[in-house]
Formats: sequence, C-alpha cells, structure tokens
Amino acid sequence: MLTMNNISKVFQTDEVQTHALRDFHLKVNEGDFISVTGPSGSGKTTFLNIAGLLENFTSGTFMLDDIDISKLNDRGRSKTRNEKIGFIFQSFNLIPDLNLYDNVDVPLRYQGLSSKERKKRIVHHLEMVGLGSRMKHLPSQLSGGQQQRVAIARALATNPRFLLADEPTGNLDTQMAKSVMALLEEINQQGTTIIMVTHDDDLANRATRKIQIKDGRVSELDVVSDRANSKIKATEEAIA
Amino acid sequence: MFTYYLRLAWISIVKHWGLSLVMITAIGLGIGASMTTVTVNYLMSANPIPHKSSQLYNVQLDSWDVNEPYNDDGSPPEQLTYRDGTYLINAKKAFRQNIQAQANAVIEPEGDDALPFMVTARANSADFFTMFDLPFIYGSGWDDSSDDSKQQVVVLNNETNQRVFGGENSVGKNIKIGGNYFKVVGVIDYWDPKPRFYDISTGAFNDAEEIFVPFSMIAEEKIGRSGNTNCWKPTGDGFQAFLNSECVWLQFWVELPNAEAKEEYMSFLGAYVDQQKALGRFERPLNNRLNNVMEWLEQQQVVTDDAVMMMTMSLMFLLVCLLNTVGLLLAKFIGKAPEIGLRQALGASRRTLFAQYIIESACIGIAGGLLGLVFAWLGLQGIALLYGDMLKGLTGLDTSMIVSAVGLAILTSILAGLYPTWRACNVQPSQQLKSQ
Repeated sequence: MLTMNNISKVFQTDEVQTHALRDFHLKVNEGDFISVTGPSGSGKTTFLNIAGLLENFTSGTFMLDDIDISKLNDRGRSKTRNEKIGFIFQSFNLIPDLNLYDNVDVPLRYQGLSSKERKKRIVHHLEMVGLGSRMKHLPSQLSGGQQQRVAIARALATNPRFLLADEPTGNLDTQMAKSVMALLEEINQQGTTIIMVTHDDDLANRATRKIQIKDGRVSELDVVSDRANSKIKATEEAIA
Repeated sequence: MFTYYLRLAWISIVKHWGLSLVMITAIGLGIGASMTTVTVNYLMSANPIPHKSSQLYNVQLDSWDVNEPYNDDGSPPEQLTYRDGTYLINAKKAFRQNIQAQANAVIEPEGDDALPFMVTARANSADFFTMFDLPFIYGSGWDDSSDDSKQQVVVLNNETNQRVFGGENSVGKNIKIGGNYFKVVGVIDYWDPKPRFYDISTGAFNDAEEIFVPFSMIAEEKIGRSGNTNCWKPTGDGFQAFLNSECVWLQFWVELPNAEAKEEYMSFLGAYVDQQKALGRFERPLNNRLNNVMEWLEQQQVVTDDAVMMMTMSLMFLLVCLLNTVGLLLAKFIGKAPEIGLRQALGASRRTLFAQYIIESACIGIAGGLLGLVFAWLGLQGIALLYGDMLKGLTGLDTSMIVSAVGLAILTSILAGLYPTWRACNVQPSQQLKSQ
C-alpha cells in the first residue's frame, strides 16, 4: 500500500546541504504496525512528514495505493491526505477554540460529508475512545491522555488506510501511555495500518515490524514482540 | 462550507476580541471618514435632473464693464439684467424659456387666530414648471397668457398648502401674499433638486422655494425681490431705474431639444448683443454662453476644491487604516500558523484555507463597515452642525451610499486580508506541527 524507493531528502541552505534521508526504501503492507526508532536528527520525523504528504522529497519514487505522489498538486495531496492518512501527534494538536465534537469534525468537513454522516462518525469515534459524554468539552478541560484519545478519534473518523503517529505517548505519563498504546494496538487489530515513531524501546517492541533510521537510512530490525510473534505464528498456521 | 467558515470566523473574532475590535475600529474610522466626504461630494456632484439635463441651458450674456471683466477668468456674469431677460423671454426663440429670480413674501392666512408667516418664493415665468418637471398634486402651473396679463396667481408647495389650507385641494382659492390676493392654480408635491441648479447664486444646496409666483409680480412690486444683485455702474433713483439699469439679478434658462436648436439660439443671442452694441451697450467682446446643467454646475464649481481635497485626504486616511489592518491581520493569521498547519495535515488545501481566512477578513470588514456607517452618520451630523444651512441637504446617507459603505468596507478588508491570508496559507505544515 505504501512504497518508497530511493527516496532522498536534502535540506539546502546557502552554504550547507543536509541529507535528511538518503536511498530510503520501505514497503508497508496492509495491517502492519511499524515502529520507527532512531537517534535524534536521524530523519524519523522527515520520513513521517514525507509519508504523510506534509513535505516534498528531493528524489526517488513514493507510491501510495498505486498513486504516484510526486505527480499530485496541492489539491490532490490534500485530498489524499484527508482520505487515506490519519495523524497522531506528540502534542495532540487539537484546536483549543473548538470543543471535542468540532475537533473531530475538522477532517470530515473537508471530505464534504453530510451533516448526518459526520455526526454519526464523530459520536461513534468519540464513544470508541471513551469520551462520548464529553463532546462539548474544550480540549483544555481534558487530561493529556484524554486529549490524545480525541486526536486518535479525529484521526480515525475519516476511516484512513493508515495512521501516522509521531511519538504519540511522548507527552503522557506511563499509565496514560499504556492506555493510548493499548488503543493503538486495538485499532491495528481492527485492520488499520500504523506507522509510529517512538524513542521508547518498550513501545517499539510492541509493533509487528520495527525499523530504525540512522543517518537518513533505514534498516529493518528483528521483531521481538509477543504480539508480532503471535501474528507471525497465526499467519504461518493459516498458510499451512 | 460557507456557514462553517462563518462559524469559524465568529469563534476567531470572539476569541481574539481585543484585536478584532481594533481592526473593526480601524476599518470603521477609515470608512466613516471617507464615506462622510464621499457622500458630500456625491450629492454635490449629482445630476439634479438627469433625464433632460443636456437640454436645459443657462444663458449668460456679457453686459459687464468694458474696463474690468466680471470674473477673473473672463467668464460673463452668471445672471442677466432685467432689460436683457425680459427681451429674451418676450422673443420666445427657444422651445421653452424661463426668466426667474428669488423673492420672499409674507403669507397672511385667513382666520382670526392665524398668524402671518414668511416664505421663500420664486418669481418665474410659466415654462419653469414644465422645463424643470415640477410634480403637481393639484392643478398645474400658470400659462403664458397669465404671464402676459400679469395675473396674480400662485403655485404652493405641499407644506405651505398644508399650513394654509390643511392639505386640501386649494386650486381656485385665494391666498393673501404681501397684502395682495393671489389665486392658487397648483400645488406641487415634494420637489427639491440637489444641487439647486436653477439658481446657484443663492446657494446650490438650499431648499427649493415654498411658493412660485409670476415673474411680472416683481416689476409690479407685488412681491419683494431677494437674492444676489451685482452692478457695475450707478442705477439711478427708483425701482424703474433699477429695472432699466445694468445690474444683473435674474436667471434665464432655455430648453433646447438638440444641437441645431442650440446653434440657432446662439445666433439669436449674437444678433441681440450686436443690436445692443449698436445702442452703446455690451462694450465687451462677444461672450455669450449656453451651458447645460452639468456644464453649468461644473463651471460654477458647485463641488468646491476644498471638498475634493477633503475627500482625497479621507481616502488616504482609509488607506492608512487599511495598512494598519493588514499589519494586524498579518499578526493574527501568523499566530494561527499552527492551526493552519494542522488543518493542512487534516486535509485542507491551500484554496480551502484561503477561503476560510478571507471570509474571516470579510466578516471583520462587514462589522467595520457597519461601524463606519455610524461614524459617517456622526461625521455628516458634525458637518451639518459646522456649516449649518450652507450644506443643508448634503448630510444624509441614502441607500446607495449605505450599500457603497458596506461594500467598500468588505472590499477594503478583503484587500487587507489578501496578503496575510496568502502568507498564512503558505506555511509549511510540517514546521508548524513540529513547533506546537
């Protein structure tokens, strides 16, 4: 569903060229839960921005559901982003002036859905993350974990093909982080592909695939999680 | 999406109410100041009789002193002498012609309790009513025969008819004016052309007169003459001497349906002046003029240079307010860059975001425009207080000016919002999302 071949990203200033990504290859399959690790400045966020069509790449090919991303204009990229990709950010990125209902409504507005359909989806997803009773609350009236749940509801409301999560538990305490991670795992089990950038090895190990970015290059690491093992085992059994 | 954008604009305006108020006030002040002066200029330069202004001509003859021109620019006097005016009216060489002067009179209503009151009057010939399209409620103007036979007839305006006859059809009734009885032949509806083109000499923006009597009533001394009189040599003793003098004090208008008629009338005027030259008058070079209504208003500089200057300055003030609004909107929208980045990540295209923020600018413009109308109204009241009767009738906002004010405010705010919106929509979403 997502294929990157020979992707490179060069940031150019007057005197300095910085290669954020080079010879970057990655194939993401449907249902994957990929964790992305790597030291600071290694290119994780750049990769996530390119995967989320928030940033252009310098060279290479990037196919998303057989769409050549390099050929899309601003409108095409916006539409693709809106319909296929959900974002979860470290700092939640909710709009402070809008209540939870309206926050989840934002991407649905850009899909041009009817009022009835939007309401159905908003209520469903807010109830799914356990915040159905707080739709009229403002983000500032919620805890960090609750805000991240709203962000997840917003990301899922458009029924995206995959979720891009940038340190989704980075601003949460351990308990909240566990709860958010459990929610992401549940979402993945329901079929949504997830790419998650994290610094936390424990969380990274809970993914089904684990990649590391170092100096702008990607390498696939062994999968260590029980969940992944059980998934692999289930797949092998199914094949047998 | 439009209603969604309106809701977002409302939320944003309320959230940043202080900044919004400053912007609305800035636009309001700019619009208020410019609309005040634009309104005055608009009303000053309006065509008071658009359907026939090109067929109505003011007549000027240069009977002035040979040693000194009437005006520094060499143009002849704006008014005519009684001798010239009566000759032209009796000649009847135009399709229609009208001799007129301002007068005033005292009306003495019937009844023991009724008190006399003063009215403004116009002494004019019969064609005045048809040439200038006065609207009649009852009756009509008098005819040429009434002029010729010097009948004591009068046309009242509606207000005077209300006051004297309680608004009923007074045609055929007598009214005592200046001690003489006049027979009412007509009552006109509201008629108040602005500028009052037919007599600039007594104020282009004064109200139209309350009663109209035959011009002959002045010579008959049945009504008191008023208005401007200019003389360049002694008049002699007595009223008859004044009438025969070279003093200019009456206005003369003709209706000429086409260019040919105008040319013929100019020839007639030329022949008349040549004849008078032979009699020792009109010593200055031939300088007859026929100006249609708009030419006449322009020549008489009804829109003063001061008014034009004030309008220019107020439009520059609007520009300053606009630039201030650009700065404030820029600050506001740049402050919203993280939200803009987020909306882009959630699927908003640049075009969508542009629409959202330009609608917010337009909402600020509408609010500024409405506030501007209040300021414009206050400004016009201030001008009315400052100048009093001089600019009476020019200090009202009509529908077109209200629509123009709001339209100008919206246009101004959209213009002010273009650059900030463009800047905001070109933020790099990845940078903004990272910086949150």
